[in-house]
Amino acid sequence: MNDMNPQNSGRTPGSFSADIASDLSSGRAVDLAEVYALHALDDAERTAVDRYLAEAQPAERAEFEERVRQARETLTMSFSAEEEPPAGLFDRIVAALPAQAAGPADVAPPAPAAPPVVARPVREHPEHAVTDELSAARQRRDERRRPQGMRNWLIGVAAAAAIAVGGVGVGAYVANQNDPLNQVLQAGDVRKATVDVIGGGTASLTLSSSKDAVVVKMNGVPAPPAGKVYQMWLIPKDGSAPVSKGLMDAEALSKPAVVTGIGSAAALGITVEPVGGSKTPTMPTVAAAPLGA
Amino acid sequence: MTLMQADRRPATRAEGNHGTVEARSAPGPAAGTLCLKVMETPNAPNPEAAAPPSTSADVNRRLGALLGQIANGDQAAFAEFYQLTSRRVFGMARRVLIDAELSEDTTQEVFLQVWQNAAKFNADAGSPLAWLMTISHRRAVDKVRSSQSSTDREARYGASSQEIDHDSVSDEVGSKLEAEAVVRCLDTLTDTQQESVRLAYYGGLTYREVAERLNAAVPTIKSRIRDGLIRLKTCLGVS
Repeated sequence: MNDMNPQNSGRTPGSFSADIASDLSSGRAVDLAEVYALHALDDAERTAVDRYLAEAQPAERAEFEERVRQARETLTMSFSAEEEPPAGLFDRIVAALPAQAAGPADVAPPAPAAPPVVARPVREHPEHAVTDELSAARQRRDERRRPQGMRNWLIGVAAAAAIAVGGVGVGAYVANQNDPLNQVLQAGDVRKATVDVIGGGTASLTLSSSKDAVVVKMNGVPAPPAGKVYQMWLIPKDGSAPVSKGLMDAEALSKPAVVTGIGSAAALGITVEPVGGSKTPTMPTVAAAPLGA
Repeated sequence: MTLMQADRRPATRAEGNHGTVEARSAPGPAAGTLCLKVMETPNAPNPEAAAPPSTSADVNRRLGALLGQIANGDQAAFAEFYQLTSRRVFGMARRVLIDAELSEDTTQEVFLQVWQNAAKFNADAGSPLAWLMTISHRRAVDKVRSSQSSTDREARYGASSQEIDHDSVSDEVGSKLEAEAVVRCLDTLTDTQQESVRLAYYGGLTYREVAERLNAAVPTIKSRIRDGLIRLKTCLGVS
């Protein structure tokens, strides 16, 4: 089943046109479902596809929608990066709920059956309820946007309390969702090492054989020269070609990177490459560490 | 990241029981000669052993129930929904947008949309998580396209792509088996298929921009995206 051919039809693969309008007029609308699901069309093209579908036969539309649905499930399963959002974000979200619903910036139409924001009416005049500096500041900020500032704030307090107790029942899910980084850092068998990077700074390595991964963190390493990036490689034990494990630009330098697959690697190397990375490392390495498992 | 502090003073830091070994290189090109020794530490029991299974089907069931409650204005359900999914939403936004503030704004907009549109969720049209991540990706892509030139996005793609490979998929929502299936199935894609899909997903590029970035013909990129996603879908058994 893993051949190159799309399995929806007998059409030859690879027979797209250069532009979406031609694809649509030549009967390839359904084959655009994956590109559509990936949000890889520009606005005008997406509108063109939507317009086409609105006029299309129900069977064709249904096939398109089914392919889009499957593509979305596939993407959701396959691209699952996780990162802890800033503390306090939820509180800010809840505080903003009603104002945002009425906000002109929000193009999404509110749901027809918009949920009630609070169970019972709350006084609309915040000045009577302000009791401390924080809420006063919040009130001022909210008043700039909507006349319902205090109501929003009250909801924020309520939901903040809810998150404190409401999450207990599903803690197991959350506990199991540690990101790969923490999975490695908290593994029971971590080993640590630090190597100097030519040009300045160091790379800290935290290895875990059980996780088959190493976390690489650059410390005080200068940004790559203009037009260059750092590229990480694993050098396989079997002598085969180095395997690229990702790029680090100036911005990525401050963040730890997880490199997996160290079990079959003899060493980790870091090189300087043109932006976009290279297929094979440009020697010399600026840092290298035997992984010696 | 407190576990990853820089440590350039080997003589003054013991690092507990872990062997931290400094490798001092003479400045020069022969970095491969760095003599780094990684000392073994005794194996500790695997802390994951006690973790209960949570497949994506379990999570989706729970999220579906929560959306029903959110549609009725249930704030506790909204809080739980956030707790279960905000790492995914923010993590994806960070990959696409890089910028922390923009990512936070996007995450906020997504959850506002969840609150407003929970009643519109239709289980026949997809799983709750796919619904959420579709909203999230749409928002992130809109934002990145309006705030950054495609050149910037292409330049930044390298940075955001580093963990996409087989790294970030290994411990996602869902069981180990599911994660392993993703790794295995991604491997069934050709390199060019993977690259094209990733550039579009995490790079926020249109197929046309992907084609420019990869110096490939536009129809070819459309085919790669279509064939890659269909292959992935088939391998994963998405039905």
